Amino acid sequence: MKNKSNKQKTAEARKANLLSVLERHGINIYDDLDEGKFPQFVIPSRSVNNIVYDKKIRQYILGNASAIRSSRNMSQLRSYTQLAWLAFFVNRLVREGKSSTLRDIYYSSQAFSIDFEDQPESDNIIVDLEAVTSSPREEFHIFPEERSSVFGDLTIEYTVPGYEGKRVNLSDHPDGYLIGPSLSSAELVDTSAELVIAIEKGGLFTRFVEENVHKKFKSIIVDTAGQAPRSTRSLLKRLNQELGLPVVILADGDVYGEHIAMVIKSGSANAAHLRELTVPDAKWLGVWATDIEKYKLPTIPMTESDIKRIYDLQKDPRYQEGNWKKQLEVFLKIKRKAELEAFSKYGLTNITDKYLPAKLEESKSL
Amino acid sequence: MSKESFSQISPSEFFYRNRDLAGFSNPTRSLYTSVREFVENALDACDQKKILPDIHMSIKAVDSEQSDPKHYVLTVKDNGPGIDPKHIPHAFGTVLYGSKFGLKQARGMFGLGATMAILYGQITTNKPVTVKSCSDGKVADEFVMLLDIQKNKPVILKHNTKEASKTGLSVSIVLEGDYSKAGSKIRDYVSQTSLITPYASITFEDPSGEKFHYPRIVKEMPAPPTIIKPHPHGVDVETIRRMIVDTHYQIPTVDNKMMEKVRKELGQKKSLTNKDILERAQKKWPDLSRPVRTIIAVMSFLNVDFDGLKKIRIDDLDVANKKLTYWDFGEAQSHAIDLDPESPYYKQLANTVQGDTLLTFLTKRFQRVGPTTAEKFCEFAKLKPERRIGSMTNEELVRLADALQKFDDFLAPDPSCLAPLGEGPLSKGIMKFFNPEFASVIQRSASAYSGFPFVVEMGVAYGGDIPSTGLKVYRFANRIPLLYDEGSDVVLKIVNEMDWSRYKVKGDPPLVIVSHICSTRIPYKTVGKENVADRPELERELKNALQFLARKLAVHMSRQGAADMAKKRANLYAKYVPLISQFATELSGKKKEPNYKQLIKIGSEIEEQIQ
Repeated sequence: MKNKSNKQKTAEARKANLLSVLERHGINIYDDLDEGKFPQFVIPSRSVNNIVYDKKIRQYILGNASAIRSSRNMSQLRSYTQLAWLAFFVNRLVREGKSSTLRDIYYSSQAFSIDFEDQPESDNIIVDLEAVTSSPREEFHIFPEERSSVFGDLTIEYTVPGYEGKRVNLSDHPDGYLIGPSLSSAELVDTSAELVIAIEKGGLFTRFVEENVHKKFKSIIVDTAGQAPRSTRSLLKRLNQELGLPVVILADGDVYGEHIAMVIKSGSANAAHLRELTVPDAKWLGVWATDIEKYKLPTIPMTESDIKRIYDLQKDPRYQEGNWKKQLEVFLKIKRKAELEAFSKYGLTNITDKYLPAKLEESKSL
Repeated sequence: MSKESFSQISPSEFFYRNRDLAGFSNPTRSLYTSVREFVENALDACDQKKILPDIHMSIKAVDSEQSDPKHYVLTVKDNGPGIDPKHIPHAFGTVLYGSKFGLKQARGMFGLGATMAILYGQITTNKPVTVKSCSDGKVADEFVMLLDIQKNKPVILKHNTKEASKTGLSVSIVLEGDYSKAGSKIRDYVSQTSLITPYASITFEDPSGEKFHYPRIVKEMPAPPTIIKPHPHGVDVETIRRMIVDTHYQIPTVDNKMMEKVRKELGQKKSLTNKDILERAQKKWPDLSRPVRTIIAVMSFLNVDFDGLKKIRIDDLDVANKKLTYWDFGEAQSHAIDLDPESPYYKQLANTVQGDTLLTFLTKRFQRVGPTTAEKFCEFAKLKPERRIGSMTNEELVRLADALQKFDDFLAPDPSCLAPLGEGPLSKGIMKFFNPEFASVIQRSASAYSGFPFVVEMGVAYGGDIPSTGLKVYRFANRIPLLYDEGSDVVLKIVNEMDWSRYKVKGDPPLVIVSHICSTRIPYKTVGKENVADRPELERELKNALQFLARKLAVHMSRQGAADMAKKRANLYAKYVPLISQFATELSGKKKEPNYKQLIKIGSEIEEQIQ
């Protein structure tokens, strides 16, 4: 039983930190206005040539370049105001414990005569604020529409209004729990698990629950629903950091599956301005290219775009060595892929009974 | 021999058979062309007499119930000088009878068009033309006439006179037309004519009774053009041949009239012997006219008196071989006599037949050619300056014509034969017509192509009442609006080749260009006279004019742009700074809003943006 009572209030702490960052920005702007100066934001540049791979922390990060968005510049005045409004709006959201979606933000702006031309424009301003505050949008209580789920023996304590202090165990409901705003802002109180298994597909997530994988392997099971959303990656990160649980990843035996694992482990270029989303020690269990042959899995041929994707990833610095590199090469050689469901050829429980234990064993040596 | 019969056709018949050449191809086009011809004649007549034109035009359906094409009565009335009643039948009843054959700028080329319109009216409706004219301000003559197409002669059906109080001309024809199709072009024509003729007052009453009135905008008329001699670059072999023919005097026809003239100049005596004649002639030689001198020279060689001269016909005077050939009616046979080159009369005859020297011909018969240029030219053409032009061979004439085209040292053609509108009237016309926020005009100095002088006038108007529907070009040539065949016109080509973005003109600008080309001969591409061909000299002038105006426009645009920008800045800061202030106040947890007013003021005053 891992009790994290000493770090119990991490969600509260992160919230308090964000609010103080926002307040500091507010004060700066206020003072500038009062002194007749044009306020400005310094935004780390997210252009391609400012995204670099940091080997030490094993993720993509932004370089030192930054852009100034000044209210003095007429062509930036509008987007400056949009950013100031978002800071103001997020401050309200967080203080009032309300959540919002990307689409919501786009519409909410109109109540303040802040005119976003379209949602992409407002989405962009959200990313700007992430870069300015170094916090992911989930901290702002702004969530994408996509949802993934979690299941296992984990007790959480809500912080959302109306549920403050209420505790829930995430193994109480067999369909799992949505990783939504309330779960993301909840405190992680207590768990008996020793492992987190992230799995790409909802179907297999259900199978794992049915087969009692959480008990057999003392694990928390997370459905990433394809490429893991940032709230899911944020949760994985917290499970790893706050509860000290190792994270393993199961994805389809193709180049996309390999990259799903990589993004959980070391982030994406899109989120290079954020550092709270990666689990550098996460392990990719499979399905590896070499597993296809080894487990004699039924395969389907790769498409043109699959192959192109392999060539693209081969240019990524993270795929330059070790197993990551090797698996890409094998995929390229066999030009075939296998889905997680392929194990069903050998029985529905083959994946949980045979494959998973074997791979967990194998991963210890990685 | 074939059985084909050859017969000469009259000019009327020729135009009748080829009426589509002159713009009478169908009822729509014919109605439009007729309007043009009459209005242009009226304006030309007023221009020539420096009368501020007052034109009234009406088109009425003969039977308004009928559907188009149908018969219309077209009437054009002016306040011009009118026409002397004795010329009216010929002027309106004969094709190729006109006063516009000189070399100067005029709207119509030869005055053919009006007769063509009358002819067209007659053949489509079989109705006569009615002409009312008053040229002295007292009596008005009214003629009702038909054209005899085969004989090219007028047939007067009715002629009466009335009292009148002012001069003017009114022409009325009945013709088949299609106003439903031609209407918009005719209205465009009238309105654009008023733009390029701001000193005219024009009223048009259409078949529905609606009146379009374009009042006079300026009171001063442009200087009328003068008739000038041709420029050397503008003549060909045939023109030279004609010029030579009327330069040297042919041996005059000896008839009673001529005899009378000789007698009169020598002094009234009825019967004189050959000797008497020569004696008297010698005394009075300096006072004698050239034909008389020539007759006397001939009489001296033939040794005859007046009666003797009547009996012969001079056939040839071969100066080179010094022989005079004549036909004797009495003997009914030809004789040739030798001329004595020593005789003083020989020189007289030689000069008469051979005409001027080339040098004199060049300086006297062409514009802007002085003795120095003429001599240089002779050297260039490898022709002797003292060569008599009457004795030049065919090859020499071709060489002369060729050299006239190629010699580069002639002065540019004399533009005094041109009558551009002038910058003032053009500018006023544009301002009144378009009511723009900005307008500029330019008149380029005269230039020439192939010996024909031309002047380009251009105006540009932007904004104001002009709709933002993109660039529109108004083309004029010799004060005539050009409405058809826009696509292939040189002005359009120049305008389209411009990179307007360089002059800060973007999108569909509220922009109008008025282009006016004046020339003794507009290089039209087609006989319809609606589109101008791209001569390099013309292109260059148009381009220079357009670039000049575009630069002026660009200055206006950037001034306008700066003003707009300042306004936009002010608006932006007024909108956004209070919002920023509101957000910052809540974010920072303060109660009172900061003093941001000063920022709005500073913001709108920033000149340069920080990039």
